[in-house]
Amino acid sequence: MKLTNKIKASHARDYRSVLFVLAAAALIVAPIIIDATVHKSSYVIDIMVRILFYVIFASSLNVINGYSGQFNIGHAGFMLIGSYTGALLSTKLGMGGVWYWVAIPISGIFTAIAGFLVSLPTLKLRGIYLAIVTLGFSEIIRLIAMNWTAVTNGPMGVKNIPKIWLFGLRKTSSPMVIYYIVLVFVVLCLYSTYKIINSRVGRAWMSIREDSTASQSLGINVNRYKAFNFMLGAFWAGVGGALMAIYYRFISADMFVLDEGFNVLAMVILGGQGTLVGPVLGAVIVNLITEFFRFADEYRLVLYGLLIILTMWLRPQGLAGATNTVLAGQAITQDSSKKTAVDDGADA
Amino acid sequence: MYVLQQLVNGICQGSIYALMAIGYALIFGVVGLVTFTYGEIIMLGAFSAFYYFIVFGDNLILSLLCGFVVAGLVGIVVHKVCYQRFLDAPRYISLIATIGMSMFIKNLAIIVFGSTMKGLPLFFEGQNLVIAERTIDGVRQQLSLTYLQVVVIVTVVVLSIALTLFLNKTRIGMRLRAVSQDRKAAALVGVNVKNTTLLGNCIGCGFGGIAGILLGLYYNSIIPTMGGVAGLKAFSAVVIGGLSNIAGAAIGGISIGIVENLGIAFIPNGSGYRDVYAFLFLIIALVIKPEGLFSRRTGTV
Amino acid sequence: MSIRKLPVLVMIVSLLLVSATIWAGGQNEADGAQADGSAPIKIGVAAPITGNWAEYGLGFEVATAMAAEEINAAGGINGRSVELVVMDSKGDAKEATAIARQFSDDDDILAVVGDFSSTCCMAAAPIYEEAGLVQISPTASNPNYAGLNEYMFGVMGVQSAEGPFVGEYLLGNYVGAERVAVVYLNNDWGVAAKTFLIETAKEIGIDVVAEENHVDGEKDFTALLTKIQQSNPDTICLVTFYNECAIIANQVAQMNWDVQLTALGPGASEQIIELGGANVEGFLTSTPFFATNDGVSRASAFKTDFESRAGFTLNVHSACAYDALNMVAEAMRNSDVLSRESVRDELAGMKGFEGVTGPIEFQPAGDIVRKYLIVGIEDGKWVQMTDYSYAE
Repeated sequence: MKLTNKIKASHARDYRSVLFVLAAAALIVAPIIIDATVHKSSYVIDIMVRILFYVIFASSLNVINGYSGQFNIGHAGFMLIGSYTGALLSTKLGMGGVWYWVAIPISGIFTAIAGFLVSLPTLKLRGIYLAIVTLGFSEIIRLIAMNWTAVTNGPMGVKNIPKIWLFGLRKTSSPMVIYYIVLVFVVLCLYSTYKIINSRVGRAWMSIREDSTASQSLGINVNRYKAFNFMLGAFWAGVGGALMAIYYRFISADMFVLDEGFNVLAMVILGGQGTLVGPVLGAVIVNLITEFFRFADEYRLVLYGLLIILTMWLRPQGLAGATNTVLAGQAITQDSSKKTAVDDGADA
Repeated sequence: MYVLQQLVNGICQGSIYALMAIGYALIFGVVGLVTFTYGEIIMLGAFSAFYYFIVFGDNLILSLLCGFVVAGLVGIVVHKVCYQRFLDAPRYISLIATIGMSMFIKNLAIIVFGSTMKGLPLFFEGQNLVIAERTIDGVRQQLSLTYLQVVVIVTVVVLSIALTLFLNKTRIGMRLRAVSQDRKAAALVGVNVKNTTLLGNCIGCGFGGIAGILLGLYYNSIIPTMGGVAGLKAFSAVVIGGLSNIAGAAIGGISIGIVENLGIAFIPNGSGYRDVYAFLFLIIALVIKPEGLFSRRTGTV
Repeated sequence: MSIRKLPVLVMIVSLLLVSATIWAGGQNEADGAQADGSAPIKIGVAAPITGNWAEYGLGFEVATAMAAEEINAAGGINGRSVELVVMDSKGDAKEATAIARQFSDDDDILAVVGDFSSTCCMAAAPIYEEAGLVQISPTASNPNYAGLNEYMFGVMGVQSAEGPFVGEYLLGNYVGAERVAVVYLNNDWGVAAKTFLIETAKEIGIDVVAEENHVDGEKDFTALLTKIQQSNPDTICLVTFYNECAIIANQVAQMNWDVQLTALGPGASEQIIELGGANVEGFLTSTPFFATNDGVSRASAFKTDFESRAGFTLNVHSACAYDALNMVAEAMRNSDVLSRESVRDELAGMKGFEGVTGPIEFQPAGDIVRKYLIVGIEDGKWVQMTDYSYAE
């Protein structure tokens, strides 16, 4: 019995790695195939790049909302900080071109520091109170970016953001090359998240999510873990933001309004929070659908709104939420409470 | 004098926030869920009055009633779609549903009502209550209120007192409070939780509708996209006020108004930072008193 | 359980990616196949049809549709009819770039009219440049926009012309203001416009006593107005849209404050009168374009027709959209061999085009220097105060 289980498990593991390789291969080959077969492909690849950006944003938000049960509804603020840091480093301090490889991590770290600062007042707040602080933070950051003309160029936004050097090959902003660069970061982001949530840290987050008081009494330093959680989520939002600035080569504060944060939140929840695959799925589906609904003209956002409501009716746990553990896997399975995987603990 | 006038400006604008916050506080108290559809309820209230004035003529009192009913009815729909099913589920589910609902209503409203800004009939036009006036070095300073501002302030005071009395003195009000405090216990003592929640949401939305009309009258402008900012301010006021405390929400709204206006008054070219003052105030308030400045009980809602 | 579902999800993700791309790609090829001599000429229209700028986007949609219909009714462009491809950008720069890519990929699209905001136009500019596709914006007036690359055009008229006009002629000559307070909308347009305005005003000796900005959608200006009242201006100049102009006029009246209101930007918008009533009497503004419903001029006929179709009043932005499409059509008519490149060349070299908003001729950068009128509100109606020669 035990043996068969073991064999089953190892089979499953093989099966899983094969699928991973297949999926990875598909993602790597897809743009090449599209570029070769489709007459002009920049629009299609552009959508794929956009999806990858949102995979990073949604996954980073999921680190906060899905795993530690804190409730951040102002993610756009973190995206903005990363984006502006990357853009200003390159335009004002000349850290474009090959220096981007330094500027991108700096943007992430800078955003992580902002995440730490936000987490300070929120450590003693929960649920709704925490949510409104993140929301307020997001608006404050946006208005500062818009009004502090001397540094951020104010409402004019940052334009002429330099192109990126890909290992000294050439400067580029072509969607195809950016696609691969972002893909690398997506993989890094997902892999590191996977590693962390399956480590002691991740288990601590999840135990905080389930019962913060009990965790405290078990000797978990709740505040420190919560702060680190916010920093990690903010870090990846910052990296994603910097990449976005490099790709669009123009950013302005109105790209990061509250609705943008809600949009990312919707991706996380529609996909299924507290799972690794959920936000990925959410990012893919929401972006494809909003693109697909273009035919509906002025009814586009009406349909999108309806779709959000419908999904909550049919699958309130999110599209990938039912499996509870998809990739996030083992740690939660061992806790084995299905409810907690979808419970963000946002009870004020 | 200048400071006083800015204070008065702040109180007037704060009263508008307070008016919106009262309904929100009731909804939050009874349903126990955050809603992002409230701004759209406010907008629908304002537009119902707009059409009321066109069809039935300029009667302020009846239009307020009309706004109350329309917003209350929409409240039923919102309740059925966004809350009822998810009352026992994690909160973020209904939150996302209300975001979807808000998107749906707002964009449908743009199609149905048109996207341009519209005006409402002017009541109390041109009448001013000048309290004091003086001239220093050729600069005229004055302390004045318009009648509409007086009406708004009085409405806020009357509504919050009436609603507080209603909640504390009437049978239905007590049921609402019981549900607000402990859903399960309320059910045990024989309160029909489902209907009471629905009713509470309905009344709350109705107040949102009234707030919308006065908001539209006050600035003489209504537009389908007006809900976003309005809902956000109502939400902030309620959080400062301690979530389900009606009077607290009203005071929260007024204090936000004062903070914003004083910020604009004293920071050079600082009008663009209006919301920064409001949210900084909110965050500082929460850090000092994590349950809101005027909360009576801790952590139940 | 979990292990069985994982591959399904991975498959879904990759399938979605691949199928979506192939679906979109297939569309491209189908489109490409029918490009022959008699097929309609496609022109892209990018506008914020939903979202906070929807009223302007919808105006674009109606105005360009009218222009296309008129062109087709008159026999099209060298026998080929015009077909518009309208895309909604929501006023979001990211969407605008996606649309730019989509238009660029579609070989049948030979020019693009749009977008509304300078932000969207400037975000999309590098993509259009790569594709060699013209983007002619009815409204973007950021002084940097048209100069970004040779494919960018703007018909609104740059702020480096309107700001100084208002500073010198409206405030200086016409009103004779001595102490001016400037209230401007904090976006790229507002900042550019007020900078030029204040520069000129100071040059001719006007004292700019206060300068305050507001964010888009602001409704309560009492604090701001009380504040600038302290510096005792005799004239307020509003650099903002009609909504805010009307609300400010109402609030100034509520304060019992007797001050001259002037504006740059809203144009002769009837909405101002509708929203402001008696409070906007004596309101003055500059405008590149003025039409009444008297039916005499071409602009007037256009205005009447537009309003019956759109259901809302004409603004200068929609009129510019109408002109922009007609200019593109004119450029196409003038092309020997029709291509994206020829549209650009013909537009850049176009002389003597008469639009409903007046004569339009591009400067080397691709923008135009307009002439302005002063219009004011008298007895609840817009009245033209000066003609185009006032600034000469």
